[in-house]
Amino acid sequence: MGVDVNIRVTGGAGQGVHTAGGLLARLAVAAGHHFHATQDYMSRIRGGRNSYAVRIGEVPVRAGRADIDIALVLDPAHLPHFLPSVTPSGIVVCDFPAPSAGSADARVIPAPLKELAVSAGSPILANIAGAGVVAHALGIPAETVDRVLALDFQGDLLEKNRVAARRGAEWARGRVPDSFRLPERAFRERMILSGNEALALGAVAGGCKFAAGYPMTPGSGILLGLSVDGPPLGLVFEQAEDEIAALNMAIGASWAGARAMVATSGGGFALMVEALSLAGMLETPVVIAIGMRPGPATGMPTRTAQEDLAFALSAGHGEFPRLVLSPGSVEEAYSLAHHAMEMSEAYQVPCILLTDQYLADTVVDADPGDFPALPVNRKFVRGGDVPRGANGKYHRYADTESGISPMAVPGEPGITVVSDSDEHTEDGHLTEDHAVRIRMVEKRIRKGEALAAETLPPVFAGPPHAEVALVGFGSTKGAIAEAREILAGEGISAVAVHLRQLEPFPARAVEEILGRCRLAFTVENNRTGQLARWIRAQTGCGVAGTIGRFDGLPFLPADLARRVKERL
Amino acid sequence: MSGIFDTDVENAWCPGCGNFPILDAVKRALERTGTPKHGIVLVSGIGQAAKLPHHVDVNVFNGLHGRALPAALAIRMANPSLTVVVTSGDGDIYGEGGNHFVHNIRRNPDIAVFVHDNQVYGLTKGQPSPTSDPGWAGSLQRGGVIAGPFPPLAVAIALGCGFVARGIASDVDFTADLMFQAIAHKGFALVDILQPCVTFNKKNTYRWYGKMAYKLPADHDASDRKRAFELALEWEERIPVGVLYRREDRPAFEDLHPGVGGPPLHERDTAPEAVRDLLRKRLFTLP
Repeated sequence: MGVDVNIRVTGGAGQGVHTAGGLLARLAVAAGHHFHATQDYMSRIRGGRNSYAVRIGEVPVRAGRADIDIALVLDPAHLPHFLPSVTPSGIVVCDFPAPSAGSADARVIPAPLKELAVSAGSPILANIAGAGVVAHALGIPAETVDRVLALDFQGDLLEKNRVAARRGAEWARGRVPDSFRLPERAFRERMILSGNEALALGAVAGGCKFAAGYPMTPGSGILLGLSVDGPPLGLVFEQAEDEIAALNMAIGASWAGARAMVATSGGGFALMVEALSLAGMLETPVVIAIGMRPGPATGMPTRTAQEDLAFALSAGHGEFPRLVLSPGSVEEAYSLAHHAMEMSEAYQVPCILLTDQYLADTVVDADPGDFPALPVNRKFVRGGDVPRGANGKYHRYADTESGISPMAVPGEPGITVVSDSDEHTEDGHLTEDHAVRIRMVEKRIRKGEALAAETLPPVFAGPPHAEVALVGFGSTKGAIAEAREILAGEGISAVAVHLRQLEPFPARAVEEILGRCRLAFTVENNRTGQLARWIRAQTGCGVAGTIGRFDGLPFLPADLARRVKERL
Repeated sequence: MSGIFDTDVENAWCPGCGNFPILDAVKRALERTGTPKHGIVLVSGIGQAAKLPHHVDVNVFNGLHGRALPAALAIRMANPSLTVVVTSGDGDIYGEGGNHFVHNIRRNPDIAVFVHDNQVYGLTKGQPSPTSDPGWAGSLQRGGVIAGPFPPLAVAIALGCGFVARGIASDVDFTADLMFQAIAHKGFALVDILQPCVTFNKKNTYRWYGKMAYKLPADHDASDRKRAFELALEWEERIPVGVLYRREDRPAFEDLHPGVGGPPLHERDTAPEAVRDLLRKRLFTLP
């Protein structure tokens, strides 16, 4: 990929790791390059060992890399942890390391970051002084740093930050090699956002007007996005007393006519499951975003996993159709959240957006063209369009050919809307009549058949007849795509298959793609191969096995390619 | 009563059930408000009490056990022009839904909540409820209830609920009047209703409630929170009915929430230009 510089900023929570990393990422974009940034943070408020990885390339970057080219170590105690990952030609800028094994290493450049920060006005600016050192290593002019800092700060604070960055860059002159200097490229406007931010924006752009939630990492970022970006477009947000309330609230708001959603993680979703079944029974549209993290139980709250696929597919007592989508990139988080809003209302089914901590916290620069303002097609009926039954009343659950009943909202003059979590008649009243039960079950299931006709096919890259297919869902998309390129470069033909939709399952398309490959492996952030099981259940395809990762960290392309080769 | 709210849905209550007079009281109170049917939503959870909305010809949201309040809150937030009334049982509101009871009183949405409090789980065949008297023996607790009773009115007063009343199923006029006042009150209004369960509760019967209940005197000062709290805890000797506590100065949730108000949510559009403005904020441009 030409330019490929992997930077890691590390320090304790509260040391400004995120700020310095974010600054370096934007400096790369200002210099006409692209980046992919991920966070690795511990479940605490202060201290610990956090890091922010920024990988810079001259083409859009969609995965991380393990080995570090430039490390900015704000807490010298972390040096021994990160040093083994630094490439032989790498640079380690460390804030005055205490005498240790690491400091004797030729790659380590002890830098007086705190002193530089104090000279700029405050010791807390050590991270910015460090970013200044790295900016110098990347060959980014001080003037560009000044301009980017102006996006975040104003007045005195801006000046102090600028001075800190400049002091860092000046100190670096002659001390830090310029082996990672980025070639000059023209600046282009890009969107910069995380998976969580993109998902919330997609939902808002998809007409979401009500959101509720109880904070839970990594879903909280979606709630934050909805609560900040939603209100200018008329969205009403409420922090719920628990996840049970959150989904029951969203269903209530949806019943009253609002497009509605919740966001949580696996544990919170576990609490929502009874209400998921309620949405299935009431045929109330609702969108549920699940940011997966390692379980069981509390698991590893700030790390990543894809362990809740089988849970999302089967959650909820009883039988009812659902839509399960899994965005594989920041761009897809936006487009699929919009799609979820549209489809959920069109088919009056709950829709689950399955994401994870890795995608949630991944930040990239993206093409503004991938973030269109798509139409919002409201489907509820009103006025003269509200159909009446034989008794002159509106029947919320009218038994139609498609199974989809015209949906009116309460408050419509001349009619009442009646819905019941019990099995119900067409006019919504509780029934224990077995014949009605059969008709209502069939009606609900019919909607699922219509929904299946609009299934999003998998996205695939590579030659049609490949040696090996690597199949993933959700956040593995970028790593699989790059691993495929690495394998191709080594003469191994592979096809990368990304499933954006898991239920209804694109069975025929998957059969077609896998049928042309000698071997197929699923690539999943779990131990037991949940996607492999689902593919076997839904298709006639054999899956040779699963390449799993369940340590709480995302797949990295080089490592994935190596593991594929081991299996061939 | 004119019968305008009657439905032809088959009734599933026991003969003599306290739900019948409560249903009459609900219809009477709703009729007195003068609100058209399409402007009213009855929300309930699960249980025999929670079937009441099916017998009233208005909008009905009969959701999950214990979860009437979250749905009712959101319906109010989505469309504050709707009159939202929750009608469900003691197990539903105080037991399964206890957390929502607490936090919605804190929020103070403009919802009237009628709790059919018969101190027993009827539909599941006679288990003690959160309000069962200690020592009362029911299914699953044959040796008698060990836990202390949940005092709904005292909890509501402690949390600052602006309308706290107790009705009695046997007096329809009296209870309908309390219900009317609760609907008219701006904010969370609780009416706990003493209700006999003719099948499973042989202690707290029509006769027992009739003997224990007394109407609060006309000179009761409902603005006196301390006095109201004392009254709310009265149970062993006699049981006060009427409006125990009332304050009108607490603003309703809908008036404080910055997003509620203005057009109802289904009337709000998503203009492409507004979406583009939002996306533009994420655009990285050099100053």
